[in-house]
This record gives sequence, C-alpha cells and structure tokens, in this order.
Amino acid sequence: MEKMLIVDYEKCTGCRLCELVCSVFHTGASNPSRSRIRVIKWENVGFYLPMTCQNCETSFCTEVCPTKACHKDPENGRVVIDQDKCIGCKTCIIACPFGHPFFDIKERVTKKCDYCDGDPQCVSFCDMKAVDYVDADKVQMAKKREVANKFVDLMKQVR
Amino acid sequence: MRTEHIHPIRNGRHVRPQEEWKEIIAIYLYLAGMGAGSYIIGTLIHWLGVTLNPPSAPSITLFGYLLDLTKVPIFWGPIMVSIGAPFLILDLGIKRRFMYACLNPRTSWVARGFLILSTFIVFGLVLLIKSVLPFEWLYAESALWHIPEVIAFVFACGTAIYTGILLKATKSIPLWNTNLLPLLFLVSALSTGSMAIILSTLGTGLFSHDSGALKALMSGEQTLVVIEGIVLYLYLYWSYRATEQGKDSVRLLLFGEKKLIFWGGIVLLGFIFPVILKNIASFFHGNVVLIFVSGLTLLCGGFFLRLGVLSAGMKEQTPMQRLIEIQYDMRAMKMKGLRERVVDEHGTRTTHKDTRINDKAQMSNDKLLITNTE
Ligand code: SF4
Ligand code: SF4
Ligand code: SF4
Ligand code: SF4
Repeated sequence: MEKMLIVDYEKCTGCRLCELVCSVFHTGASNPSRSRIRVIKWENVGFYLPMTCQNCETSFCTEVCPTKACHKDPENGRVVIDQDKCIGCKTCIIACPFGHPFFDIKERVTKKCDYCDGDPQCVSFCDMKAVDYVDADKVQMAKKREVANKFVDLMKQVR
Repeated sequence: MRTEHIHPIRNGRHVRPQEEWKEIIAIYLYLAGMGAGSYIIGTLIHWLGVTLNPPSAPSITLFGYLLDLTKVPIFWGPIMVSIGAPFLILDLGIKRRFMYACLNPRTSWVARGFLILSTFIVFGLVLLIKSVLPFEWLYAESALWHIPEVIAFVFACGTAIYTGILLKATKSIPLWNTNLLPLLFLVSALSTGSMAIILSTLGTGLFSHDSGALKALMSGEQTLVVIEGIVLYLYLYWSYRATEQGKDSVRLLLFGEKKLIFWGGIVLLGFIFPVILKNIASFFHGNVVLIFVSGLTLLCGGFFLRLGVLSAGMKEQTPMQRLIEIQYDMRAMKMKGLRERVVDEHGTRTTHKDTRINDKAQMSNDKLLITNTE
C-alpha cells in the first residue's frame, strides 16, 4: 500500500522540531535550513503550516528536470531525486508549487523529502502528530479531491 | 527585515519572489536572445542580398590567406550565444555534470534548450567561419550552403523564443506562465539584436556607401522598439489581471522593491534614452557617438528586461496557504471587532483616529486577544 505524509496545520505548534530532526538525520548537522520539511509561519496569529513534499500525481518537478534525476520511483510511486545525477540547476525548486525541493549549499545538489526510506523521522518526533504517515487510501483520496475541488470553486467566487 | 525571510514562502504573510534564478540566468537569457536575434536580422540582410562594403577594420592574414571579414559584423550572433551558454553552466550546483543536462528532452525545456542552443551554436559558427575563410574549395556561392543557413536560421528563431518558453514552462509562477512572455522575449531579442547589428555595421563602416540600407535597418529597429513597448504593456496588464500572485509580481516590479530595475533599467535605459538620443542624433545629422550611446543603453535595457521578469516571479499560493490566509483574515477581522468593543466598553477611545495604533503594538494586541479568547 502506498503511504504518504499528510500535514495538519491545526495541530502544529510551530516548534520546528521536525526541521531539526530531518536535518540531523540526513546531514548530521542541526541546521534547519538543510532540512526537507519547512514550517511556514503566520506568526502574529499563531498559524503554522508544516510543508513537505506532496508527492504530486502530475508532479511539475519531474516534468522540468533536465536530467531525470528527479523522478517517480516506479516501485512505490514516490518522487525522489537521484543524488548522482542531479546537476543542481534548481529548475525543480522553481517549478514545485509547494516550494519543496531545497538546494543544499554544502553538497551543491537539490534535496527533497525521501520519506526517510519509509521511516519518516519527522513523524516519529512530532509530539503533536501534525505530520503523519498514513496509507494513501484511495477512497479517502477521492473524498479529499472532492473537497479540494469544492474549495477551488469557492475561491473563484470569493476572488 | 530581509534576514527574516530564509525561504521565499516561509513567512506566509509575505510571499517572496523566487530567488533561485538570478543575474546569471538573466545574462544567459539575454546573451542567448540577443545573439539569436542579431543572427536572424543578419541572415535576413544576407538573404536580401544587400551589398556590403569590406569593413574598415585592419585585414587579418592567416597562414598566408587573406581572411574575408565582410560578413562578420552581421554573422557574429553565434559567438554571443556561445558566450552566454556557459553562464547556465556557471549557475549549476555541480558544474562538471553539465553534460547531463540534455538527458530529458521529452518533457524538460532546460534540456530542449540545451540541444537547441548547441545546434544553433554549431551551425552558426560553421557558417561564420565559412564566411571568413577565402578557400576556393568551399564554393561559398554554392546553393547547397542554403541548407545549413536555413537550419541555423530556424534554430536562431528557436533560441530566441526558447528563452521565453523556459520561463513559461514554470506553471507555478503566474507572471511567467503566459504566452506573451515568449513573444516579449522574441521581440526584445530582435530589437536588441538589430541594434547590435547596427552598432557593429556602424563601427566597421559596412554600409558606408549605402545609407539607404542603414536607414531601413534603423526604422525597422525603431518599429521593433515600439512593438516591444506594446507587448510589454500587454504582458504586464495580463499578468496583473490574471491571478493574485501575478498582480503581486507586477506590483513588486512597478512600485515595490524592484521598481529601480523596471523604471530605471527597462523603461529609462531600454526605451526613453534610446529614443531621445536617437532624435538628438538625427538632429545632428547622424552623430555616430550619440547613436552608439543610445544603442548601448538599449542593449542594457534588454538585459534589465530579463532581470526584472526573473526577479519578480512569485509562486502561486497553494490552496492550503489560501485557506489559512482566509482564516487569518477572518480572525483578524474578529480581533478588530473585539478590540473596538473592548475600547467602547471602557469608553475611552471611540473615534477611529484614536484606535489607530502603530502596527507593532497592534500585532502584540492581536496576540494577547487571541490568548484571551481561546
Ligand atoms: S514538529 Fe510537529 S508541531 Fe513541531 S513544527 Fe514540526 S509539524 Fe509542527
Ligand atoms: S517536489 Fe513539489 S512538485 Fe515534486 S512531487 Fe513534491 S510537492 Fe509535488
Ligand atoms: S536541481 Fe537536480 S533534481 Fe532539480 S531539476 Fe535540476 S537536475 Fe533535476
Ligand atoms: S520524511 Fe524524512 S526526509 Fe521527509 S521531511 Fe520527514 S524527516 Fe525529512
């Protein structure tokens, strides 16, 4: 079963532990600017939105990558970046609507969430379970898509 | 203030323009566009069969052969493109892997551009070298040479348009994702390119016998500048109307942080200076120095056009961010109502003017009220 990361902004407290954990796990340095998850803040009203790769179905990042380093793993459907092929052109960073892949200044290539090879560290360290790793249940997804579509329609009226 | 924004979208209240592609990519786009544009114009001049004077530059002899430099001033476009292409490599994280950049031409415009540019550079340079070499066995007048000429011409057009399509292919940035952008960059490539041709022909006295051809080129150039202005206006107008972040981008470019690039670089250097200087020059019977200065400012304007478009690109907000934004606004509205009520109850501050506190105090007020009400 395909699993995916989901985020719940209502639970997130903005502690940014996930950023730290991700960076330590992957780079050994406790440097949030090298992590693969970022918390967006609306500081003055206390909204926090952890953002990680949405594993898009039609992913812009794989489409624009000139080297095929950023590709969908045919086995489990995850979008991953092949570190040996990436040339660090940053096209995927610009293309991703969620501001996801990040350029690693140390290693000079682009990094993205790789789900920690199936054992997401950010999930196990987040006390609030604001990020969670769940089965991408097809029915659930259909429901979510419906809600999202409704939301888009609504937005058009508001605008 | 600026140090706060580590990542463009980290602070959701202030959507930041992208900062991944900067001056280096602008130089790349500019040189590629300008070189391709000048090659297009140069090839047209060549095909129209305008007679060219041998340039006034000193002649060069190579291995005892006298090189023919007549066509160089109209055919040097590929050199510009091949200077520009390494700038793309310069921007890469790992530069020695640049050859990988052509592996995915099926979907990626960066890869396609890599191929288009290299094809153009190869064919263009071959034609340039052929026009220089005086050897008999090249049969310089042979009709067969039309084939590579046409190929190079097509790829020059491709290069000029590609610089726009590269940005257009980014679907998440509304300012770039419009068909007008390739058109704008194509027109700009042609106008800067023909200006560069005018400068090089003036500098080498190529048309010194034939002022008619130069006049035609000049008026063509002026028409192109006017068209460029119209396309730029339409482009900004459509981006402004299209989406929220398109609007933000245009605002940022016109009135915000980047206004110096827009008004100083694009409008002043790219449009106003050249027109004024050219008019003064025509007043002084074609003063070459003035034409040169106006040409150079126009070329700078072409660069700033790319830089401005690049640096004002903002990503669209994701639905999640929009949702939070709306909730934020609603909460802020509620806060405002609450605060006014509180103020009313105390009966101290009732007029609107009095309740206007400075931003910082208001923010901390908001925070306090949130913790109080929850
Ligand atoms: S660790 Fe959890 S609660 Fe803390 S910032 Fe990350 S997602 Fe939010
Ligand atoms: S990196 Fe961005 S575009 Fe690519 S799959 Fe993840 S969220 Fe989607
Ligand atoms: S930075 Fe790497 S993964 Fe991203 S588009 Fe360029 S080559 Fe592909
Ligand atoms: S799953 Fe792993 S790689 Fe992805 S954000 Fe969490 S810790 Fe980082």
